Amino acid sequence: MSKGTNDLVDILVAKLKRRQLVGSSAVAQATLKLLIVVISKNNWSKANDLLNLVRSVGQRLIEANPTELAIGNIVRRVLHVIREEFRDAEASSKSDDNSEFQSVPLTTSSSMYNLLSETGSDDKEFTHASSNLRSDIIQEVRDIRIELDTIYENIKNQATNHIHSNEIIMTIGRSRTVEEFLKMASSKRKFHVLVAETAPSYLGQQMALELSKAGIEATMIPDSAVFAVMSRVNKVILGTHAVLANGGLVAISGTHMMAAAAKHHSIPVVVCTGLYKLSPLYPHDEDSFNVVMNPDAVLGFEEGDLMEKVIVTNPYYDYVSPEFVNLFITNQGGHPPSYLYRLIVENYDPNDHTFDPLA
Amino acid sequence: MPPKEKVESTEQVLQAVILADSFDERFQPITLETARCLLPLCNVPLISYTFEFLAVAGVQEVFVFCCSHSDKVKAFVKKYEKSSNMKINTIVSQELMSVGDAMRELDAKQLIDTDFILVTGDVVSNMKLDQVLEEHRARRQADKSAIMTMVLKKASPQHRSRSVGDGSLFVLDQGSKECLHYQPVKAFKSTREDRRMTMNMEIFDKHPEIQLRNDLIDCQVDICSVEVPALFTENFDYQDIRADFVHGILTSDLLGKTIHFHEVSDVYAARVRSTQMYDAVSKDIISRWTFPMVPDSNLQVGDCYEYRRGLVYKEKSVVLSRTCVVEEKVVIGANTQIAERAVLSNCVIGKNCIIGANVKIDNAYIWDNVVIKDNCVVQHSIIANDAVLEQGVTINKGCLISFKVTVGANTTVPAYSRLTALAEGGEDDLDAELISDPAVVGATGRGRSFTEAEGSDDEDDDEDPKNKQVNMLAFDMSELKLAAKEQEDSASDFESEASDLEEDQISPEEELDREVAATLDRAFQDGHDVDIAVLELNTLRMATFSNFKEMRKRVIPGVLKHIDPVAKLGSGKTAKEILSRWGPLVGKMIHDEEDQIDGAHVLHRACATLYRDVVQAQKVFAPALRYFYDEDILEEDAILEWYHSEKSQQGTDIEKKLREVAAPMIQYLEQSDSEESDGEDDEEDEDSE
Repeated sequence: MSKGTNDLVDILVAKLKRRQLVGSSAVAQATLKLLIVVISKNNWSKANDLLNLVRSVGQRLIEANPTELAIGNIVRRVLHVIREEFRDAEASSKSDDNSEFQSVPLTTSSSMYNLLSETGSDDKEFTHASSNLRSDIIQEVRDIRIELDTIYENIKNQATNHIHSNEIIMTIGRSRTVEEFLKMASSKRKFHVLVAETAPSYLGQQMALELSKAGIEATMIPDSAVFAVMSRVNKVILGTHAVLANGGLVAISGTHMMAAAAKHHSIPVVVCTGLYKLSPLYPHDEDSFNVVMNPDAVLGFEEGDLMEKVIVTNPYYDYVSPEFVNLFITNQGGHPPSYLYRLIVENYDPNDHTFDPLA
Repeated sequence: MPPKEKVESTEQVLQAVILADSFDERFQPITLETARCLLPLCNVPLISYTFEFLAVAGVQEVFVFCCSHSDKVKAFVKKYEKSSNMKINTIVSQELMSVGDAMRELDAKQLIDTDFILVTGDVVSNMKLDQVLEEHRARRQADKSAIMTMVLKKASPQHRSRSVGDGSLFVLDQGSKECLHYQPVKAFKSTREDRRMTMNMEIFDKHPEIQLRNDLIDCQVDICSVEVPALFTENFDYQDIRADFVHGILTSDLLGKTIHFHEVSDVYAARVRSTQMYDAVSKDIISRWTFPMVPDSNLQVGDCYEYRRGLVYKEKSVVLSRTCVVEEKVVIGANTQIAERAVLSNCVIGKNCIIGANVKIDNAYIWDNVVIKDNCVVQHSIIANDAVLEQGVTINKGCLISFKVTVGANTTVPAYSRLTALAEGGEDDLDAELISDPAVVGATGRGRSFTEAEGSDDEDDDEDPKNKQVNMLAFDMSELKLAAKEQEDSASDFESEASDLEEDQISPEEELDREVAATLDRAFQDGHDVDIAVLELNTLRMATFSNFKEMRKRVIPGVLKHIDPVAKLGSGKTAKEILSRWGPLVGKMIHDEEDQIDGAHVLHRACATLYRDVVQAQKVFAPALRYFYDEDILEEDAILEWYHSEKSQQGTDIEKKLREVAAPMIQYLEQSDSEESDGEDDEEDEDSE
């Protein structure tokens, strides 16, 4: 790797470690920006070289902050794009000399065909380099960037399909996706939003304020009242930090409580999320993707006598298991949790679930 | 390729100065072999936390001042610089003895050309300095004399993260964010100066509202302007930044500089100043108060800690046996092995350690490559790199076990021991042979008990040794034994204190007594006019916020005192002469009937108390009453009222006898009263006739 790009990686790693850069969207943008530089500024000729380069960068970024799953997702998307481009290049060069009728393995894992074929045979093909391959790959990665930029647009355009007049919607925390979604719906429909205040970060307060500024009838309720008012609610709309492969959510703490209350009252739970938040990783234990914050917000540091006697944990996220979620609204449309596996195979290559260097 | 990051080009490079040396000996004997700022705190060198704190604040250039073990610090800084995007310069000076010396050096080298952040190499903090910097710059723009901004953190006085004995008292103006006065507070205030605080009264003139605060952690994070090093050069006796510099600047009228403060509340900031603070800050880090500076952020390159429930942080390469118990608040470094049935709680264990079976570790800090064999017990101690505890060793609380010490099998190390494997005088003479002390480290052990070199602490000779003790690891206030002599000392201290109080603190009443007596004496001696004396007394009355009643109580006896009952006529001291001269003075103190009654009572009591002998008292009282009646100072109604009041009928024998003296006069008054009314009746009768 050239020194310049290495420095850039170092800077991003430091920012991630110091938590100067947090939040799925910001992290995803920064990762993609960095990867474009890595791909364009470094020398590579074989597919495996490039894949290993991107993987090594990805590995460093993920280790810097393993709870920001969006980093890994973006790196995997880029790896997927690189594989596709190589495959296309391979196929076109073959189709040049062979007949057009030869079947081309388009995507590796989405078909049963590859399940039984030897793995690694693909990688051999990737040794071939094409002259305009670099620009093709960069173009494809730029497309991902455009996708990131238009995510809110794509999601909010579906708002009127899901929100009807005079409905009562409940939400928690402050998610930009949900905020835009509701604002879009309010341009055509009149409805009421209940926002849980989301202690101890109180992001719900900001959310309620923003919604009411946009002319939406918003009421802030304490977190403890969520269950009590749930019976009157028509729909729960949630934002999330990440979506795991099983359809579970890593979302701001309090979400699990709200989703469970909704399930009790049989209220539909809808999750608005960009596809870049969808991770191919499974939660092997509930704490695995959580961040435990400074306990200051729960128990003040000033209370010196108390803080020695208790352990205060202040988890920032909740894990919400998939049975609580009824629908995911992504930039590609609405999907039930059971369909997520399909989105994962379409967007990520199964070889990229871990970033160990390729042979 | 240069980093694409946008550097705020309009602003100058933000600089910081780290004082890596602590200039004290609280961590000895461990600091004999390495620098204080390189001690591992939760398995990360202390100075890394400071670097990290500065990096988050956006500092681009750092100067590290170091003195002892400078080669080690330099090597570390060089390694660290590679992984950070700051420019770090190390400045080594063997002559540095204090903060003041470092600042003078800084001034001499002219390294700083803008406002800079001054911190010590043991600060652990997650605060963001941008707001403080902004405030400081804005203040500097408005007023060039604002030379420094101190960052203070609020915490209750008994907070564990407050260094015992390094307390400080701040006098602050919340309006202008100005620090007006500073005083260090010791844990044991053995001398009278320690217990007192002297403040310039002018502070009250300039600031309508001030606060005296003892609930602030002073983590010594300062934003200094370029003048600060220069001021240190000018005042070459300044050593400490707080006790000398801040105190000096604030008490000096000549300099006209001001020092401001910034109070933070929801962030963490503390300094590892002593072993006791090492303990407290370690616990704060493990309890995540310093977030995001926690072990699982892996701020050090190559670390890979994971967070587990119960505040357990573990590297991936740790080998835990099946039956070992890792309780809460534990950090375990890479490649460490924990054997069967070991119990760990509230502790930090470094890299490559081997912990044997049945070992119990509580509250201890075990650094890298330590071997603890089976059945050992370690409580509330620090065990440095490469130490070995053979089987069955017990380490009691408060021990510091330095590098490469070996404690032989089945030895019990008493509480608060300090062991080193460094030969006596080994600092200078590397060839000196270590003479192990089997009494301390056991037969097969290696090491000796460490005692502080004599006279090493000459500056602090006058300091109470107890103040050193309180900073020790695991120090328990209740264990402090006061020797009999000390108790006597402190008792006599209190006595002298009490007598001081009598002398110095006079109640306002006593003050008035004294003043009135002095005024009257002066008036009698110098023969003032009554009017002048009255004027003086009235001024006095207003100055002391008292009333006429209080004045009468003092003036009447004051006048009567000058009467000599046995003096001959013409000597100027008989009752008549004195009263005719000074009587009007009393008159000025009496205005209405109530005053008159009160005046009669005062006169009565005064005569009774001034003169022991009844005869003498009568000789004064009778003419005085007569005089006051004649002069209409006391009118007849008032005198009658006094005479018939219950208060006058009670009292001492003398008082009773004096009242009897008044009886003929009362009789006369009553008669004349009735005569008058009779006369009137007669007249009326005559008229009617």
